[in-house]
Amino acid sequence: MAEVAAVLDGIARYVVPRTLDEALGVLAAGGVSILAGGTDLMPQARAGRVRLQPVLINIRRLPELTGIERAGGGIRIGALVTITALRDSALVRERLHLLWQACDHFASDQIRNVATVGGNLCNASPAGDTLIPLLALGASAVLAATGGTRRVPLGEFFTGPGRSCRRPEELLVAVEVPEPPAGFAGVFCKHGTRPALDISTISLAVGARRDGTVLRDVRIACGAVAPTPIRALQAEAVVEGRAADAATIAAAAQAALADIHPISDVRASDWYRREMVRNLLQRALSHVGQL
Amino acid sequence: MAEAMPAAPSLIGRRIRKLDAPEKASGRTRYIHDLEVPGALHAKILRSTEIHARIVAIDTSAARALPGVHAVITAADVPWQRPIGVGKDHLPLKTDRVRSLRDEIAAVAADTEEIAEAALRLIRVTYAKLPVLADVTAAMAADAPQLHEGRPGNVAMTFDYAQGDVAQGERESDVVIEDVFRLHYVTHCCMGVSGVIAEFDPAGNLLLHSNTQVPFLHKREFAEALGIDPARIRIIQPPIGGAFGSKLDIYPFEPIAIFLAKITGRPVKLLFTREEEFLASPTRQPVLLKLRSGCRRDGTLTFRTVETVHDNGAYTSWGATTPFVMMQTISSLYRVPHCLYHTAAIYTNNPYAGSFRGYGNLQATFAVEAHMEKLAEAVGMDGLAFRLKNAQTAGEVTPQGMQFKSCGFQQCLETAAARSDYLRKHAAYAAQQRAPGPVKRGIGMASMLHVGGGAKIYPSDGCGTILKIDDFAHVTLMTGASEIGQGSETVLAQLVCEELGLPLEAVTVVNNDTDITPWDVGVHASRTTFIAGNSAIGAARKARAKILAAAAQKTGLTEEALGLAGGCVVRRASGERLFELGKFLRGLHFSDRAELVMTTFYYEPPSRHQDREFKGDVSAAYAWATQVCEVEVDSDTGIVRLLKVTGAHDVGRVLNRLGIEGQIEGGVVMGQGYALTEDLMVDHGVIRNPNFRDYKLVTAPEIPEMDITFIETLDGEGPQGAKGVGEAPAICIAAAIANAIWNATGTRIYALPFTPEHVYRALHGAAAPPAWTGGA
Ligand SMILES: Cc1cc2nc3c(=O)[nH]c(=O)nc-3n(C[C@H](O)[C@H](O)[C@H](O)COP(=O)(O)OP(=O)(O)OC[C@H]3O[C@@H](n4cnc5c(N)ncnc54)[C@H](O)[C@@H]3O)c2cc1C
Repeated sequence: MAEVAAVLDGIARYVVPRTLDEALGVLAAGGVSILAGGTDLMPQARAGRVRLQPVLINIRRLPELTGIERAGGGIRIGALVTITALRDSALVRERLHLLWQACDHFASDQIRNVATVGGNLCNASPAGDTLIPLLALGASAVLAATGGTRRVPLGEFFTGPGRSCRRPEELLVAVEVPEPPAGFAGVFCKHGTRPALDISTISLAVGARRDGTVLRDVRIACGAVAPTPIRALQAEAVVEGRAADAATIAAAAQAALADIHPISDVRASDWYRREMVRNLLQRALSHVGQL
Repeated sequence: MAEAMPAAPSLIGRRIRKLDAPEKASGRTRYIHDLEVPGALHAKILRSTEIHARIVAIDTSAARALPGVHAVITAADVPWQRPIGVGKDHLPLKTDRVRSLRDEIAAVAADTEEIAEAALRLIRVTYAKLPVLADVTAAMAADAPQLHEGRPGNVAMTFDYAQGDVAQGERESDVVIEDVFRLHYVTHCCMGVSGVIAEFDPAGNLLLHSNTQVPFLHKREFAEALGIDPARIRIIQPPIGGAFGSKLDIYPFEPIAIFLAKITGRPVKLLFTREEEFLASPTRQPVLLKLRSGCRRDGTLTFRTVETVHDNGAYTSWGATTPFVMMQTISSLYRVPHCLYHTAAIYTNNPYAGSFRGYGNLQATFAVEAHMEKLAEAVGMDGLAFRLKNAQTAGEVTPQGMQFKSCGFQQCLETAAARSDYLRKHAAYAAQQRAPGPVKRGIGMASMLHVGGGAKIYPSDGCGTILKIDDFAHVTLMTGASEIGQGSETVLAQLVCEELGLPLEAVTVVNNDTDITPWDVGVHASRTTFIAGNSAIGAARKARAKILAAAAQKTGLTEEALGLAGGCVVRRASGERLFELGKFLRGLHFSDRAELVMTTFYYEPPSRHQDREFKGDVSAAYAWATQVCEVEVDSDTGIVRLLKVTGAHDVGRVLNRLGIEGQIEGGVVMGQGYALTEDLMVDHGVIRNPNFRDYKLVTAPEIPEMDITFIETLDGEGPQGAKGVGEAPAICIAAAIANAIWNATGTRIYALPFTPEHVYRALHGAAAPPAWTGGA
């Protein structure tokens, strides 16, 4: 009774692999949907926006995808690490504070307890909360397939709303974040109708290192203002090596408007999104200038 | 009660836990979703995919052929169906035309919900599109197609009311202002979605498990729609997961479930999905309102002229009748000698509005209280003094005919102002408007008048009670009043215990079965505590009299010398216990002249129906409130944070303090959602955000600090002096926030909601104020 297609009826096989190799083998055969926390996949499948493939693979038992640890000058975060685990991690809180702030603004406790960072990245929503700080921090996705593993900087990973360069046979294993330079500090700003349980109308991650009176290693990433999360490179260039004075901040906010391409949807108009990027970027930069 | 019963402290005013709280908190309450009727089929409805179209053909053959499907019906299968709803202007299953996206075209009963859904996908409908009337302007255009037969100009309903002579009022005015206000769509968002279980017994009697708020009137409605004898319909209400007015009308899904039950001969269960609840349950009435008002230099109000146009949607439900309440606020919240009011509700292809807590009063209060603030400023008075000057007082009879026997309005104004430090803050915040920095504070005030002693919109506004006391002094209170989560069971039990000197555990309330409970007009208009409370007290007093008469006979004391307290018959003066009540009742029962203690009482409030000019005294008592809102406005983002609500409510008397606090807090949050976050986006007949991701309810972190004071005016007609309070707390919030934003920023926003982009646009001159499009 294929017509009796309640959400799960299209699934012919449900697999729960215990090792990465096993999982990659299943993926190599094709026709697979990947399930991590399911907080995107299930609502999307129910709403008919995603068609589940004949094989559903639950990756939550793969030990290779867990853990937060220092590795080779960076911090490696397993794809299965939940938002709650990120928020509870002292390492994240101390060294990746931008990411920590995003996790603090993320959904509700119930969702944070199951939602994974890998799911957030692979869902590739331009409003995804961890994407923005991870992009600002210069993180890379670690993608594995039977043929081998590759690393893709997040700036290249996202290709459109809900789309990434991950190939169907690839699994996101981890995200690697280079350790920010000493003194790097930042602000994550999530803007919506209400302070909790909301999808960003726009979001910003702004970080820099104070060097005397000037800011260096300036990073500005924006969410929900383009088909993918983006770095505001023109705005970064305006601030890099300068003091965060009013003129510089205003110029950077103006420059950011050339970096973004917002649309109008149920959450906001493109006009309002531009206004918010300008106003909130000014606010965030003056804040960062004082950190 | 003047009785001195020292042994038994009064229950009135205490904090009493809701009787159903343990069940609800532990997840044991069996809502309609949890009811499994053996042999029941599951039903789903196919709704239109066109906003306005002729139905050319419906092909159900593939759906009928699907294994597990028991019936697929369209209008052709139920030629005997009749129009339903307040306007009797639509058939449950549409015949040849759809007028909105929610329109019901076909329905399936199947072994499972999944099969029923699959069958819906197999139904093929061919439409011929018709032009869409997306708003009232389009619907009022001379060449607009007529949406309903016999409704020229697409006018669904009109209301006209006049008192005095507004032209004279205007001549006497020193200040005259006019503005246009626009109030948006929101919807109830009950936690429990709509649902019904219908089954016929072999004799043809219909049993409905229904979430209705008006079981007795709906028996008749269903009977009319089905062409059967109302006496053969029994309605049982399972615990209802919220209603807020949404279940005051019957909607197509209910007759459809009944049709399916009749055709299949099986019980049929039909539950909405959350998305369906957004799409196919009613909304609050959207309103475009033009208000012209004036006052003298000394602050005396002179006149109000109001014109409103209501987008009626495709069909007529209670939303169209909200002018009943709107005109009360316009004519009688403050003393206004001259008023002229006109409303037209215009059919469009949009969703249709129903009854919703406050019933037009949020909309009317929003406009009236904006003008109170503007007029006060124009004559150089502070908002409090201006309102006090025009506020009603006890004893007043308004030109509309409302009699304010108890009225704590002035006390509400003074109390809310004093407790919120309104005058000082208002001046201080106004002075800060031009100060540097994007974040500003503001404080704003609004007040309301609402029925608090029932609302006589039907020939009767009564409620019946049957009360029995068994051999163990356990009371069963059978009341016509429905419980929809508001805590009526608890307060009724409390009132009965107060009369009978029993602990709350001694009462079981039965309130959900039309075959058992006596008649009641329904749960609406903040009436249950008042009307059902008086009815329960009446029955309890009869029982007490019966017991005391028997006890007098037995003891040789007079009835006046006896009382009931602590579960005993006592000497009234000393409180000395004479007999344990259960034992005494057993004695009555097992005697030669055996007697049971069973009483009935019917309470009809002393109110008067409105005449054809909408004049009358529809409620036995009126409730008053003033709410002051303090906000923080971020002009960089448009975000308005509600920091604090200071409320003063004339509730007559506090019965269950815990219950009334909960009622007020919940109402404040509902008003907050209406003002700040909730927005059902209707765009050319399409609801764009039918889900909780994009329809934003207030969440816990935004709930403001609340300081609530109860003004106890001890209404002479109220049960223990109480008045209705159910709707009151939601009414003023949006109006008060609008005034607070004005105080913070100097910008007056005439349209709701105050969502960030809307406020930002208004603050930066990027929003056009609402324009009047309701015609000359
Ligand atoms: C109520 C609610 C509130 C929410 N609030 C927020 C919020 O505030 N901020 C926010 O950013 N998001 C929010 N979300 C969205 C969602 O919770 C997040 O995107 C979450 O991180 C997804 O993780 P998951 O593990 O649940 O992903 P899943 O749903 O399991 O997967 C998401 C997608 O990624 C794919 N995928 C998952 N893991 C991998 C992997 N390792 N390799 C390859 N593909 C993979 C899946 O196939 C699927 O396509 C919310 C969702 C809900 C239901």
